[in-house]
Amino acid sequence: MAKELPGYGTINVPKDREVPFGAVTPAPVCTQNLFQTSNWRIVRPVKDDEKCTRCLICYLSCPDACWIYKEEEDMMEWVAGFCKGCQICINECPTGALTAAPELDFPDGVVRLEKPF
Amino acid sequence: MAKVHEITVWARGVIMDKEGRDVINIFAKAAQMDGKHAQAFDNYEDLPDRVLVTVRKYVRLSDEEIEHKYVYTNDQPEVVVIAEATIVKGIDVLLGMKKGGTLIINTNRSIDSMLKFIPNADLLSTIATVDADGITGVRTVDFSGSEGGVDESGIGKGIAAPIVGAIAKVTGMIKKEHLAKIVSDVSGMERGYKEVKIKKLG
Ligand code: SF4
Ligand code: SF4
Repeated sequence: MAKELPGYGTINVPKDREVPFGAVTPAPVCTQNLFQTSNWRIVRPVKDDEKCTRCLICYLSCPDACWIYKEEEDMMEWVAGFCKGCQICINECPTGALTAAPELDFPDGVVRLEKPF
Repeated sequence: MAKVHEITVWARGVIMDKEGRDVINIFAKAAQMDGKHAQAFDNYEDLPDRVLVTVRKYVRLSDEEIEHKYVYTNDQPEVVVIAEATIVKGIDVLLGMKKGGTLIINTNRSIDSMLKFIPNADLLSTIATVDADGITGVRTVDFSGSEGGVDESGIGKGIAAPIVGAIAKVTGMIKKEHLAKIVSDVSGMERGYKEVKIKKLG
C-alpha cells in the first residue's frame, strides 16, 4: 500500500510485507535466505515426540521462529537453517521433550558459508 | 619482501572471543621473541559481540618488516586454527588456502570424523587435533583486551594455552620456551604441546 510519509515522500509496502502497529505478526511470512544462521550452533535441540504435548511454548519462546506447528500432522517442526542453538526452547519446554545434542553428531543440517555471515 | 606467513584463528563471538584473541597475541609475542616480525589483530569485518557468531583472528609472520599493514584479513592462510570444532561444519575454513596447508582443531573427536566435515581437505598436508577444553576446561570471557585495550585478566589462562602449545608443536613457527614466558597456564600449554594428535595427509 502506498503511503505518504512527511519528509520521505511516498513509500510503497507490498501487501504481504505490511505489519500492524507494534509489528506483531501471526507468523513469519517468509525466510531470509541470505542470512542463514545455522552455523552459530554448537548444539541443536532434539525433540522427543512421545513427551511433547504440543503446548507451543517452544514456538513462542524461540527468538528466531524456528519451531512451527504442523496442524495436519499435529507435530512441532524444527527449522534447521536458522536455529542458532541458543537453547532457550530447551530451557522453556515444560515436559523435557527437548534436549541439546552436539551438532557434530549429525552429518548435515548446517548451511556451510564462506564467511562468518 | 620476504614471505609473509598468514595464520587465521576461528572462534565464536563473546564465549570464545577472548580465547581466540589470546591465541593470536601469544603467537605474535612468541614470534617477536624469536626476532621475527609479527602482526596480530582481530574484530575486522566480524561481529565479536554477538554470542556464538563465528569470528576470525589473524596473525602475520615474516623474517622482514611486513609492509601490507592496511589489509586486515588473511586471504591465503597457511595455518588455520579452530577454537571450537563445530565451526568446520558451518564455514569453509580453508577458503583461500594454497595446497599444503595446516589445520589445527580444538576437539576431543577423532581426526577422521572431523575430516568428514571438510570437503576441500585435499588442500591440507597436515591436520591436528588438541582437546583444549579437556585440558583446561576454562574459557575466559573478557572484553578488556579488544579494540587495542590492555588485557587486564592476563593472557593464556584458558583454552588458548593448550592451543598455542599445539600450534608450536605442529607448525614449528613458534617456540615452546617463549610460550612458557607468556602464557598464564604454563602446564596447560605444555599439555597441548605433548597431547596434540597429528596426521599427515597426501
Ligand atoms: S515446548 Fe516442549 S512440549 Fe511444548 S510443544 Fe515445544 S517441544 Fe513440545
Ligand atoms: S535453540 Fe534457540 S534458536 Fe534454536 S530452536 Fe531453540 S530457541 Fe530457537
